[in-house]
Amino acid sequence: MIRIRGLTKRYGTVLAVDDLSFDVEPGAVTGFLGPNGAGKSTTMRMVLGLDRPTAGEALVDGRPFATLAEPLRRVGALLDPGALHPGRTGRSHLLVAARTSGIPLRRVEEVLDEVGLGGAARRRVKGYSLGMRQRLGIAAALLGDPRVLLFDEPVNGLDLDGVRWIRGLLRRLADEGRTVLVSSHLLGEVQQIADRLVVIGRGRLIADATTEEILGGLGRPQVRVRGARADDLAAALRRPGLTVAPGGDGDLLVEGATAEEVGALAHAADVPLWHLSDVRPSLEQAYLELTGVATEFVTTAPAPVRTAEPAR
Amino acid sequence: MTALPIDARPVSGGRVLARTCAAEWTRLWTVAATWWFLAAAAVVCTGIGVAAGSEAAADPAEELTAWGVIAFAVVPAQFALLALALTAGTADHTTGGIVPTLQWTPRRPVLLGARVLVVVGTTAGLGVLVAGAAALAVGAVHGPALGLPAGEGGTLLATVALVVGAGAGLALGLALLLRSTAGALVAVVLLEFVLPLFLGNAGFAWARALAEWLPGSSAVFLLTGEPAQLSTAEAVPVVLGWAAGALVLGGLRLLRGDADR
Repeated sequence: MIRIRGLTKRYGTVLAVDDLSFDVEPGAVTGFLGPNGAGKSTTMRMVLGLDRPTAGEALVDGRPFATLAEPLRRVGALLDPGALHPGRTGRSHLLVAARTSGIPLRRVEEVLDEVGLGGAARRRVKGYSLGMRQRLGIAAALLGDPRVLLFDEPVNGLDLDGVRWIRGLLRRLADEGRTVLVSSHLLGEVQQIADRLVVIGRGRLIADATTEEILGGLGRPQVRVRGARADDLAAALRRPGLTVAPGGDGDLLVEGATAEEVGALAHAADVPLWHLSDVRPSLEQAYLELTGVATEFVTTAPAPVRTAEPAR
Repeated sequence: MTALPIDARPVSGGRVLARTCAAEWTRLWTVAATWWFLAAAAVVCTGIGVAAGSEAAADPAEELTAWGVIAFAVVPAQFALLALALTAGTADHTTGGIVPTLQWTPRRPVLLGARVLVVVGTTAGLGVLVAGAAALAVGAVHGPALGLPAGEGGTLLATVALVVGAGAGLALGLALLLRSTAGALVAVVLLEFVLPLFLGNAGFAWARALAEWLPGSSAVFLLTGEPAQLSTAEAVPVVLGWAAGALVLGGLRLLRGDADR
């Protein structure tokens, strides 16, 4: 597992990560969300010992990453797929990695085949597409069969097949009991693969809960409705205090009521309905609400939303 | 869900260093630049050696050997080998490769030690190889006029190892310190060639005295015996001191700094 306590990183006057504490548990995919510049990549870099924290600590299986003798056997990470020597072949890149942790060289061929790069293994990396570099980075992360994996934007540059593959891979890794932390700005993608979410804004923790809890607790339920007389229908729904907004194509989006309640109000107003459905709250909605709080209260830090046991 | 076992095998520090050295060796030889720099050093050393050997062979009064000719040819040829060491130090920072490098070897003192051992050791070894092969070529082309006495050869090859190894240490240290190929290359050329040449020929005594403390002056003296006012006892500490100083400064930046490009 990954344990982060009071992690802080200051670059001059800029506080990139501010007293961050959370755990990433094994057996689940944990999504790591936040707006650009929220401190996600800086946090991951500190976990991996690439940047030194100004304060606090990040432990992997109870130890600082920088003390590991065979790091690839403990932690696999994909941070920046473009961060590698373009003149080296994909196979050579992994050979260097394998030698550092005493990993058998046959494992290099195995992971290259696993990520679909077997045919391009002897080509120089400068000829790789972004998706191929992404797959090479994932191969390096999987090389030591590690228990802890960190992926920063793993679906960037992947085609549809690649996205489906990475979705299945992350699920499999978590189901095998590994600790999986994934950052992504593609909220729909995270909603599909993450069991838990850690949301940060301005370097501070905003939420640390399961995906369902965040969707249920923060994304306000809505009802989509379309009727014969839109104006009469909107007036009937607003009368008891519901919030009604245009939903495009003559639809109305109603907040604060269930589909049954909306149907009953339309019936009472004698408006025939052509469409009535609950709108499942999206992660995007919940995310904007959460990060909006962080932006709104700039000088008073928002209390983190936690539904799990708080970090000690 | 499968509970994965924790691999808790103890790994000694020596084994970690040996593995990191193996990785550095692979890192060095799996980029084309290493082979190009080696080829350039061999061509320059052999080419200049054979050309200069024609002149020396035509004037027996000079009593030069093939080794003596090669001592002069190593002076320009060493720059290709210093460039090899320099790019081995900057490549991680100019390409972003430092990110995976430190993920795979997070113990930075181990990475630094392995990089110094492999890059400096390899560059010094290649210097010996290039000089030895070039001397054999000169001996083969110019026959008995330019001989290959074993004693002189041993001394010259040991000197080449010292000069090229110290130069590689300086280049690698500056590469780790500056993290820029252009910046480090300018610094190496200034210290090893331009400043010693201009200051050494300046009309001021203080400039000539300063030139004697630069690594380029001592490197040339150790190889060729010129300028005569220097001595081996002075020149050896100068080349080693510059290399050690640059490696300490570059090493501190690697050990203490964030892993930036």
